[in-house]
Amino acid sequence: MKSFTRNLMVGAALSMAALASAPSFAGESKTSPILGITSSSLEEFGGPDGVRAWVESLFYYIMLDNRIAPIFREFGNVERQTFLNTQLEIMVLGGPNEYQGASMSAAHADLGITMPQFNAVVEAAYNACERNVIPYHTCNQLINALAPFTRDIVTR
Amino acid sequence: MKGSKGSGARWVKGAVFAALSMVSSHSWAGIYDDGKVFLTGGVFTVDGGGGGGAVPWATITGYETRDGINGGAGFTYVSLPNYTLNFLGASVGFFDRFELSYMNTKLSTNLGNVDTVALAASLLNLDKNLGLDPNGSNLHMETYGAKIRLFGDAVYTSDSFLPQTAIGAYYKVNSTKEFVTTLSADKAKDYEIYAAFTKVFFRYSTLVNLTVRYTSANQIGLTGFGSCEANHTNCNNDKEFRMEFSTAYLLQKNFAIGGEWQQHGNQQKHRPVDTGDLLSTTSANGATDLVHGVVGNVVGGVIGATALSQSLTQNESDWYDVFFAYAPNKNYSLVFAYLFLGDIAVAHEQNGLYFALHATF
Ligand code: HEM
Repeated sequence: MKSFTRNLMVGAALSMAALASAPSFAGESKTSPILGITSSSLEEFGGPDGVRAWVESLFYYIMLDNRIAPIFREFGNVERQTFLNTQLEIMVLGGPNEYQGASMSAAHADLGITMPQFNAVVEAAYNACERNVIPYHTCNQLINALAPFTRDIVTR
Repeated sequence: MKGSKGSGARWVKGAVFAALSMVSSHSWAGIYDDGKVFLTGGVFTVDGGGGGGAVPWATITGYETRDGINGGAGFTYVSLPNYTLNFLGASVGFFDRFELSYMNTKLSTNLGNVDTVALAASLLNLDKNLGLDPNGSNLHMETYGAKIRLFGDAVYTSDSFLPQTAIGAYYKVNSTKEFVTTLSADKAKDYEIYAAFTKVFFRYSTLVNLTVRYTSANQIGLTGFGSCEANHTNCNNDKEFRMEFSTAYLLQKNFAIGGEWQQHGNQQKHRPVDTGDLLSTTSANGATDLVHGVVGNVVGGVIGATALSQSLTQNESDWYDVFFAYAPNKNYSLVFAYLFLGDIAVAHEQNGLYFALHATF
């Protein structure tokens, strides 16, 4: 529980920092898919608010999945991660880079994440798209942009 | 901010959690794994390995990831104007790296001209076994396959053009040797090797695959390998490189439509069905055999009237197909296809329906 409070406080501090000014640091940069992504992707997601709603759904499905929920319950912080993932996804979908979290490798290095666990998150991502009525082909733009992070995230 | 991480204890805990979450859901075997994304193992090919309908892909069969084993069994039914094909097989993928497959194929003919030859041969009590049955002849083949993924990733490396690349081999044993010989093939068993390159382009929700196969197969081996001139002379079984292409467009995460092209050789082209002396009017012995006796006269008359020996000239075409594949869940997938197989042996314009069921564990 200690780490939970820590994360919560850091999250709150970050939220305030984000509201206050331009980012002081960015731990991760945009990926570069070979064929790019459709330029209207962010818009098709419903803009930044749409992305936020999608991330909420993502964590809803993650927390329902016994294959991965325990990891997030033990090491994660849904509130903080929702906030940071929204920033990250807005960035990879072609929006401004306001991401304030750690790099993907730093954030996941100690978690020993496996390929099946990563794919479970991908399944949750597709479910979140369906829940938020984001067309499959639009959803694939996000998958396209996030896929290269596999290398940093899956360490086992 | 991340400074507080990295303690050994935390790492161990993470690993234990990971292990537990795997074992608890499948306590009978931690090695079982179905973590792969929908349809990315490919479906069930007619050769048994993972791929499209006819073309093997570089993807490894089954839903396993690099952490486990998965596989399945499948059945394919093909209905063509003059042929019916049944495929029954199984395949296993190991650690998304290596794949083993087996396929049992039966082709039943519905060919008036071949049946007539079979009837004539049986009436004449021909010494030579043509491998034909007047009630419809069958071809039977077993295919053993192995494939290994070399490098690249079809799905995750969307920031690189490097395709997933695999090499594989099939060993095909056609157990209807007499029939295959009658169709002028040189050999009834042979191997093939191939290299496959697969990439998913998420931007366009499209999978593209290119395969190069080194083979001498006639109709994927169903009518044997290589060819001979009459009476099994001047045989030739030189292998060559043939191209295969397949593409699938994902309409939904578990639903794809696509098409394939498979280059075929044409070694049996214009080779008559090798009936020995049965249909030969030039051979002195055969001709006299045929015109002697009532049976011979009748058969000779039928053959002459129907220009049977001309109708028995063979041809082979490249294969094309369009398909749609649907995976309702990770335990089974269905493929419906329409095949354009062109000329097969002595029958022309073999277009027809294809249905495949692939159950995965
Ligand atoms: C492309 C896929 C993924 C993306 C984009 C992603 C993104 C993120 C982000 C932005 C953070 C916050 C980093 C920070 O705290 O500064 C994070 C943390 C975390 N992620 Fe992921 N993640 C992905 C996959 C996964 C997977 C597959 C798992 C586990 C199954 C996972 C588990 C976690 C956990 C437990 C944390 C919290 C770590 C901590 O606060 O100490 N992530 N992730």
